[in-house]
Amino acid sequence: MKLLRSLVIAAVFTTAYPAALLAGVSMIDGSEPERQARWEELSEYIFGDRPIEAGGDLITIEAPTRAQDPALVPITVKVLKKDEVQAIHLVIDDNPSPYAARIKFGPAGDPSEIKLRVRVNDYTNIHAVAETADGRLYQTRAFVKASGGCSAPIGVSDAEALKGVGQMKMKFDDNAKTATLMIRHPNFSGMQMNQVTRLYTPARYLDEIKVSYGDKTVFEIKGDISLSSDPVIGFSYNPSDESEFTVRAVDTKGERWEETFAAPARIN
Amino acid sequence: MTRLVLASRVLLAAVSAALMILPVAAAESTSHVPEPRELWTGPMASDTPATLEGAQVIDVPALEKLLAEKPLLIDVGPADRKPDGLPASTIWKPTHRSIPGAVWFPGAGSGELPDEKVEALLQRIGELTGGNKSAPVVTFCRPKCWASWNIGKRLVKAGYTSVYWLPAGVTGWQERNDTSPVEPEAGWTPKPSGGQSAAK
Repeated sequence: MKLLRSLVIAAVFTTAYPAALLAGVSMIDGSEPERQARWEELSEYIFGDRPIEAGGDLITIEAPTRAQDPALVPITVKVLKKDEVQAIHLVIDDNPSPYAARIKFGPAGDPSEIKLRVRVNDYTNIHAVAETADGRLYQTRAFVKASGGCSAPIGVSDAEALKGVGQMKMKFDDNAKTATLMIRHPNFSGMQMNQVTRLYTPARYLDEIKVSYGDKTVFEIKGDISLSSDPVIGFSYNPSDESEFTVRAVDTKGERWEETFAAPARIN
Repeated sequence: MTRLVLASRVLLAAVSAALMILPVAAAESTSHVPEPRELWTGPMASDTPATLEGAQVIDVPALEKLLAEKPLLIDVGPADRKPDGLPASTIWKPTHRSIPGAVWFPGAGSGELPDEKVEALLQRIGELTGGNKSAPVVTFCRPKCWASWNIGKRLVKAGYTSVYWLPAGVTGWQERNDTSPVEPEAGWTPKPSGGQSAAK
């Protein structure tokens, strides 16, 4: 029995830490000077010369160390001082189009937690930057091992991928302060090759998604080709007595969709 | 006894699972794709053969040892092509990370290069190896990438005698080592947006 147990432990260890068995174990964690240089270049491009401070006590990012599907990498950004933050910027450093999303929060919004799914093209840092109401910037990062997410073929024809485009669902959690929005859209990256015609499908993605609660904005997302197909966005909101959520979405081809959802009953 | 058998099976399964997620290992050797006699002109991203006649197939640990001989590292991975349909506001800043010290010839692994491109390619590689055809050269891109097989084939045909093909490519390399951003060699910058570009 002892033998079995130790063999099982060895087996589990081997599965979980295969690299540990080899010499030259990779210690890459995104802190390498060239990766930092890339971030400095990109952040200057996006934020100009505004200083960006370490955001340890203000913003956190959770991402898998090694993504199972590079075209569908779940990201959770949490804001610890929600009243100070008015926007979050998501940058996937080594993606060819790195500025993945800009999320602005409105009066009905709560930046405490936002969840997105993104495409990761190569081993990269993913930076989340919180912007406060007075314009200060705070960053944090996660290093993700995945590659090929932007060019991963969709697996069906373009027409098939566009079926039901713009259809939406909203799932409210019982706590009446968090919800998940799902929108059907292939979010073509422009880097995906149709495996039959061997032509690239032009980029076409959800450019802007705006969620309102009553007449107040919850959040607005400016998207990019780095957002996965069929976006699933988990968000928080400030509960109120309003009865309806409205979602307005527009893609880069100019097509628009609007949907309303009954707000859940408030639990007091 | 049965317990022992069971345990060793569990261990075997776990080890194979570990190997499967590690492109570092010589997992490519299970391929049953036959070597074409000439350069491959089919889909570039598909299963490749286990061998390349006239060249040695190496894995990442073998490359790590070979680095002591300062081989010429030739990356033929594709360059990201700016997609059609991107709004003007998009920040398009592709980067290509490779094995440190590599030279990058995006598109040079095509089986259908025009003669003048082939000539320019071989001339440049001749310069980089100081005209020594027995100098070690390593060709790679990513797993399941015929481009690296093709350029290895071209170099063998051109008389290079120490050609090494690394099927695991940058993907395998970066499991254990860091990569560096590289710029394309002159004349090999990707075509601007529009029209069909080389298959990935």
